[in-house]
Amino acid sequence: MDEQTPKPEPSIFERMRNRLTPDGVPADERGRMRMVMESLVLHIHPAKTDVNSMKWTYTWGLGGLSALLMTILGLTGIILINNYTPAAPQAYLDILEINSNVWFGELIRNLHHWSANLLIVVAVLHLIRVFVTGAYRPPRELNWLIGVVMLLLVVGANFTGYLLPWDQLAYWAITVGTSIISYIPLIGQWLMQLVLGGPEVGANTLLNFYSMHISFIPLAIFGLMSYHFWRVRKDGGLTLPKSSKQLDDPKPERVTTIPHLVNREFIFALGWSAAILLFAMFVPAPLEGIANPALSPNPAKAPWYFMGLQELLLHFHPLIGAIVIPSLAIIAIFTIPFFDLNLKSVGVYFRSQRGRYLTALAIGISLIATPVWVLLDEYVLNWTLWLPTWNTLISNGLIPLAVILLPVIFLDDWIAKKFQADTEERALFNAAFLFTAFIVLTLIGIYFRGPGMSLYLPWNMPVVVH
Amino acid sequence: MNSKPYLIESLIGLGATMIIAAALGLYMLNEPARITQAQTDVLNLQLDEAMTLYAENCAVCHGLNGEGISSVPALSAPALKTMPFEELQKTIARGRYQTAMPAWSMQDGGALSAYQIDELVLLVQYGDWNKTGDRVINLGLAPLVPFITDPDPALLAEIAKLPDGATLQTAVRIFAGTCVACHGADGVGTSIAPALNDLDTREKLPEDLTRTITYGNTGTLMAGWGNTLQPEEISALVTMIKRWEEIPAGTIPAPNIPIPTTQESIALGSQLFAANCSRCHGPEGQGTPRAPSLNVKSFFVDKSDQTIQQIITNGVPGTAMPTWGDRMSEVQIQAIVGFIRQWEATAPEVATITRGGGGPPWKRNNTNTNTSLFGLLPSTNTTTYTATGQTGIQQALDWRTLVLAGIILTIAFTLISSGFSALKKQKK
Repeated sequence: MDEQTPKPEPSIFERMRNRLTPDGVPADERGRMRMVMESLVLHIHPAKTDVNSMKWTYTWGLGGLSALLMTILGLTGIILINNYTPAAPQAYLDILEINSNVWFGELIRNLHHWSANLLIVVAVLHLIRVFVTGAYRPPRELNWLIGVVMLLLVVGANFTGYLLPWDQLAYWAITVGTSIISYIPLIGQWLMQLVLGGPEVGANTLLNFYSMHISFIPLAIFGLMSYHFWRVRKDGGLTLPKSSKQLDDPKPERVTTIPHLVNREFIFALGWSAAILLFAMFVPAPLEGIANPALSPNPAKAPWYFMGLQELLLHFHPLIGAIVIPSLAIIAIFTIPFFDLNLKSVGVYFRSQRGRYLTALAIGISLIATPVWVLLDEYVLNWTLWLPTWNTLISNGLIPLAVILLPVIFLDDWIAKKFQADTEERALFNAAFLFTAFIVLTLIGIYFRGPGMSLYLPWNMPVVVH
Repeated sequence: MNSKPYLIESLIGLGATMIIAAALGLYMLNEPARITQAQTDVLNLQLDEAMTLYAENCAVCHGLNGEGISSVPALSAPALKTMPFEELQKTIARGRYQTAMPAWSMQDGGALSAYQIDELVLLVQYGDWNKTGDRVINLGLAPLVPFITDPDPALLAEIAKLPDGATLQTAVRIFAGTCVACHGADGVGTSIAPALNDLDTREKLPEDLTRTITYGNTGTLMAGWGNTLQPEEISALVTMIKRWEEIPAGTIPAPNIPIPTTQESIALGSQLFAANCSRCHGPEGQGTPRAPSLNVKSFFVDKSDQTIQQIITNGVPGTAMPTWGDRMSEVQIQAIVGFIRQWEATAPEVATITRGGGGPPWKRNNTNTNTSLFGLLPSTNTTTYTATGQTGIQQALDWRTLVLAGIILTIAFTLISSGFSALKKQKK
């Protein structure tokens, strides 16, 4: 009798569950393994992961943290869009409204603000990690290029987002930041007008930046991010860390991705989410008075990640400081995988024991040389005064450039002769030297420049009251 | 892999999850209070900006504390607080016809954005007028207070000797008691009213002058005086205006109006005095062999605030007192005057001159923060904002600078020496 009773119709929940796992959860391990293989996780990760590539101290989870921050930015961004109007001055009133009239509004804005700033730091650290372990070498050159493009897009996203609160901070940082565009020869003025939608930052700029910030840039980052992940697998997974003393392959030890790698990733994401959440709860995102084109603050500074660039502008002709030097730096970063081909040192931090010492030497010298040069250029060197009849492109551009390039070339030559450094080590030395210089310049720009962009000590910084 | 491969990691994950849940819960409990607080903060922020707007645009007519000047209405009146928002907004944006109130909205040719006008309405409705007055003073925008003055008796007697002297005498007295408030001492004009002792005014027809005085000038602060003054008094004023070149300067002197001060302005004055003046005048203004005492009764009896301000601004030719007008703003100089003036109550009859202002650097009261890193050396690509003649090196070399330089140098030398020695060893 029992067998003849028709099977009861499965409930709607059972049917939904059946759609997710049509065959039920298999009883045997092999079957469960298969099920896992077909899951979403394994579209990103391989089924088995090398234990060595999961070491915290090798990747520091920087790529994963960038992805987590992008996710937080996307989610909080969507909520912010719903409470925001990209029109001046309504944009500013909307921010006030978000802070004072929306449940969790301030928290969401803080999360978005701090995640965006943290993302810049983390993305740069990720780039440094890949650089110092030589992880951009073949076959990973393409992924390096995509990563650099994404870094530029992240900076672009941050920069376009900077304007949206439409307060004094936003308005003048964007005014200073976009003025750099106008130094591009021939097309500079035209390009700046195109970006700003007019001769100066205004309602059109806000709309331009908003559209870029919520459509093109996130879409491009999302597309490239997917490709970046896929490329990691296609290129054979992460590079494997090697002890710097012995360059031979470490013994491979592979474990299943689920649960070993996935567990770690979840815990890492949870830990960082908690940290960012707590930070956003206690530290409010800055908001100044409404944008006032008639009242420029003194000093007017670009967003903090452009302060190194703005600092260069104080020392060089704009064409050299704002266009030539940054372009050369970006070209160097783009092309380095095609010059630096020593596959033996892939996965070794700073390439070799010697590489570590050379990097330490480079950072040490740069830490002293950069501030000394800034002080000299600020108070002693004055090429335009000494060579009044020369074109400023030469007297304030090429001559100072030569003055700083000569010691750099001399240092490079010195380590090559004194320590028999090879090409790879010299590239590492110079990169460490120049990058440290850039960080020092950025810090000077942020903390030591006061009214009139003069040098002040942070604790003696005068406040210009309007 | 051992049996509990992720114990620590799992605990971290659990901890993080609990932190997220607890933090979100607590945050939500606090949310209504936070929103209330945020709304108060926004109102205070807007009131703060409105006070500056008031100082820059409105104080000149509506007065230091919104009390109104002559015929301009007071804004501090309680009735205005209950006036509908839109009515106040429209009044500021579009002005009031046939009064001195112009349209302030940018759409109507004014200087203020819609947002700024809204802020000003908030100031009228919720603002604190005493705080607003302090802001106006701190920005150095205190309006001319209506004043009357006494004509100089000696010069008044001289005027009597001129033809038709009695009429001129009458006019001078009326002017000193009424018109001087806006048109200034000797009719030189002020920020709110034009000069009357110049050729342009003199060339106007007597009928026009009479009409302006009697009925006022619509759209300006000039009120109609027909109800207050007798026709013969008005005609005396017209006569005086036409013959102003005969009246000696100083007949209608400026009165002694104290420069208004606030706690902030006195603090600023004290800082600036310590940084700029104490070297020669002594830390307490008691004077040194280089410069006279300021903190003494006779100094205050002699000098009005305006006189002191003028001395600081222009210096005293032939003495060590330099011209400060090109190094300090008017606000800063007025702050110093206010600081000096508050000694008056306790100033001694006789000054005890000291060798003040010296001593080793750590004993000096260097409260000035307005110095560039190396104030000695002018910056090559920008103007420095030094309001002082003091050396910057002295102030740059405090302990924080030394600590910072020490940290940087230690890190750098550790890196260099360890890197260098290891590389050298390796080569062998």
